[in-house]
Amino acid sequence: MRAAIAAFDAGADVAMLSKLHPTRSHSGAAEGGINAALGNASEDDPESHAFDTVKGSDYLGDQDAIEVLCNEAPGDVYELENWGAVFSRTEDGRIAQRPFGAAGAPRTAYAADITGHVLVQVLYEQVVRREIRTYEEFFAWKLVVEDDRCQGVLAWDLLNGGLHAIGAKTVILATGGAGRLYVGTTNAYACTGDGMALAFRVGVPLKDMEMMQFHPTTLSPTGVLITEGCRGEGAHLLNADGERFLKRYAPNAMELASRDVISRAEQTEIDEGRGVDGNVLLDLRHLGAERILERLHGTRELSMVFAGVDPIHDPIPVRPGSHYHMGGVDTDMWGQTELTGLYAAGEVACISVHGANRLGGNALMETITFGRRAGAHAADWALGHTTVTVPEGVVSDAERELKVLLDRVEGERPWQIRDTLAQTMHENFGVFRREDQMLRQGEIVEALRERYEQVVVEDKGNVFNSDLTQALELGFLLELAACMVDSGLARKESRGAHARPHDYPDRDDENYLRHTLVTWDGDRPALDWRPVTMTKWQPQERTY
Amino acid sequence: MTEAAIHTEAQTMEVALKIWRFNSETGERELRRYEVEAPEWVTLLDVLDIIKDRVDGTLAYRKSCRMMICGSCGMRMDGAAVLACKTRMYELASAGQVPVISAMGNLPIIKDLVVDMQPFWDKFNAMKPYLQPGYVEPPDGKEHLISQERMNVIHKESLCINCGCCVSECNSMEADPDFLGPQALAKGMRFVGDPRDGAKIERLEAYNSEHGIWDCTRCYFCTERCPKGVDPRDAIAKLGAESIKEGIDRDMGAKHAKWFVKSTETTGWLRETELVPKTQGVVSAIKEMKFAMSLARRGKVPLPVPPHVAEEVGQARALRDIIAGQGRDGALGIVQGERALGRIEHTDSGGARRDAPEVTPGEEPVQRDIGEQPGAPS
Repeated sequence: MRAAIAAFDAGADVAMLSKLHPTRSHSGAAEGGINAALGNASEDDPESHAFDTVKGSDYLGDQDAIEVLCNEAPGDVYELENWGAVFSRTEDGRIAQRPFGAAGAPRTAYAADITGHVLVQVLYEQVVRREIRTYEEFFAWKLVVEDDRCQGVLAWDLLNGGLHAIGAKTVILATGGAGRLYVGTTNAYACTGDGMALAFRVGVPLKDMEMMQFHPTTLSPTGVLITEGCRGEGAHLLNADGERFLKRYAPNAMELASRDVISRAEQTEIDEGRGVDGNVLLDLRHLGAERILERLHGTRELSMVFAGVDPIHDPIPVRPGSHYHMGGVDTDMWGQTELTGLYAAGEVACISVHGANRLGGNALMETITFGRRAGAHAADWALGHTTVTVPEGVVSDAERELKVLLDRVEGERPWQIRDTLAQTMHENFGVFRREDQMLRQGEIVEALRERYEQVVVEDKGNVFNSDLTQALELGFLLELAACMVDSGLARKESRGAHARPHDYPDRDDENYLRHTLVTWDGDRPALDWRPVTMTKWQPQERTY
Repeated sequence: MTEAAIHTEAQTMEVALKIWRFNSETGERELRRYEVEAPEWVTLLDVLDIIKDRVDGTLAYRKSCRMMICGSCGMRMDGAAVLACKTRMYELASAGQVPVISAMGNLPIIKDLVVDMQPFWDKFNAMKPYLQPGYVEPPDGKEHLISQERMNVIHKESLCINCGCCVSECNSMEADPDFLGPQALAKGMRFVGDPRDGAKIERLEAYNSEHGIWDCTRCYFCTERCPKGVDPRDAIAKLGAESIKEGIDRDMGAKHAKWFVKSTETTGWLRETELVPKTQGVVSAIKEMKFAMSLARRGKVPLPVPPHVAEEVGQARALRDIIAGQGRDGALGIVQGERALGRIEHTDSGGARRDAPEVTPGEEPVQRDIGEQPGAPS
């Protein structure tokens, strides 16, 4: 939506296309906040923000992109406030900011624990104000590529059925992540990596796909997100002995170390028998009812509804869960991909500002800052070029492909493939990775892809056929899993979210201070590398 | 992966549902029963997922976040709107109940549990749901300076996730499909109560027209069924109070409310005989004379003379003076803000229960006096 607003304001003719209504987007589930060096809670400046982000990325983030993000973030947050975002306030009436993990200052601007919701609402309000045309519940299935340019999208109309080609001089992917590759994820059902797969299928490289972030506090049993804001407000993490175990892993930052560090610490505690039913405990009790009710109301509600635990009285059972894809469609600092006319912004993209580990609060900021930049750039390009060509055969070819799928009556329905994929990714490509497990996962994914070839869609109707769209989503996920495993095998070191304690326990800047790039080679991913862009900061040892 | 598949080791139970299936292509409508095995902690949404995966792939419903923030999965269970992802099934299933699941009310059904949300969004859009700047400019090109207390005025309204549960249950909309309805009006209050918005009067004028705030029947079903504690009826009351404060009182509803106040502060009682002419006007009241006479004959209304005065009328006036002295006229008289939210407790089945104690463990419940309430608008 931020990209659409920017493109509209630049004078372009814009339409948004989404498989959900825009306010249903998963950005709305972001709870804790958005990082910008406003300096409202203490002294702060963009350079500290940039350094924290570089260090947090385990030096895999591109420093020029990180500087852009941190320099432009404050202006973007003020703009959201001016548009009406309902931020929480300081005593003197400014936007309130709280401490977040691995940040040198309280930098995370927030709206209680519903920051994402508030921002999605304000963006949608601005979309309504501009009367930007929206194709709601249109499922993007393919990109239209003609003359080596991306010239539109092929989409399935979920409400009425039917494929439609929507021509466009530029297309911006803003489809979010692929957390549904895993069981126990914070991600919505909609987070199936659609944009990554769309780009990948037309030959655009995906970058750093092995870098899947595991959030340290996802609620047991469902994986629902419990915000880092809890720890920002002072919550403790305890093991079965009631010990604040982080003192053995991150003695200085404790609960406010970076997410990869805490997730590994938790997993170690659980693996070594100091967990509680496969969880550790997030203790908020000492914060007091007043503070919990005022600033963490949504968290309390989630704990009570989904785990039956009232954090005022009892600690919350939490564990690491898949949360955010640092990797994604390879773009430059304006969101441009290798393919002319195709852009990407937000979690779907990899610029990269998050490198091997994203800091809490940087994701919302990335969507806003780089959404705006991509929108402006795409509009500029579109206004300077006149033609859109969507070849006639595009729709009929795709319809034939779809007919094969819909006509199939013998075979397996998708859910077992989907569940096996998610379960095995969790087991073999999780917080810790081993060579043999990754190899086995590669084989499992291959076998699942073969089974997927014969998948059956039971619903043959046109109206709200979610059976069909869910089957197509599974196709996206399977390809992305293959990319992730191959990238993970190639990175023979431990960096950020990619932890190989058994064979390559250390970071290896000599050989792997570079991004992985995967493209499609026949029906196998092919791997390439690109150096990290450095400006001011040389790699240092990373401790918290 | 469905959530239900994650924990195969969990204790399972039998869950049965009856679902109203609807096919808009053929017009067929059928109540079908489903029984599945599910982990004990499942929600209604998890059960629907199991049915769709393993029993019937043609079942249609919306879903996305499964953590009650995206607003996709509004539907009815036993005739009352719920978010499927917020509704735990253990209690119902273990009591052997078989709930009936159907699409939300007041919106056309497209397929099974999927409704056409367009009328909902049309009303949302009619509210001009975006900040109209210009009232107060940020002092230094940064953010507006506003106290947290002032923002609390719209805290509950800003929690709305547009799920449609309130609209589904709205009695007034059932009678008048053009009624703006609880969601749109709550969104309206979100801007009327925002000190940054420069279009308060225009908004109140618009929301006071036909199908607007005074058409609400105050049945409180919206507030009862809202899964997020938005309290749309409260928002409508705030809009009414703001309208009267700003002198926008041409509607009979506003006149009615004003007369209640006037009547109680002068005589301490409601003077029903004067209520009708003061609300509807003299001409209209004369037309009601026959009905009024028959009421009077049965002793349902007192005669206008002598005036019906309460014994301790001074108390009523003192009460009014106390309220007036607090400087909380308009919406501020109704605002509960974040404190009210803290009092919404949730049961295992996801239903809301209010008035749980607001205490820190080991401490006595906090008694709050009026001085801690939000002050006058800045």
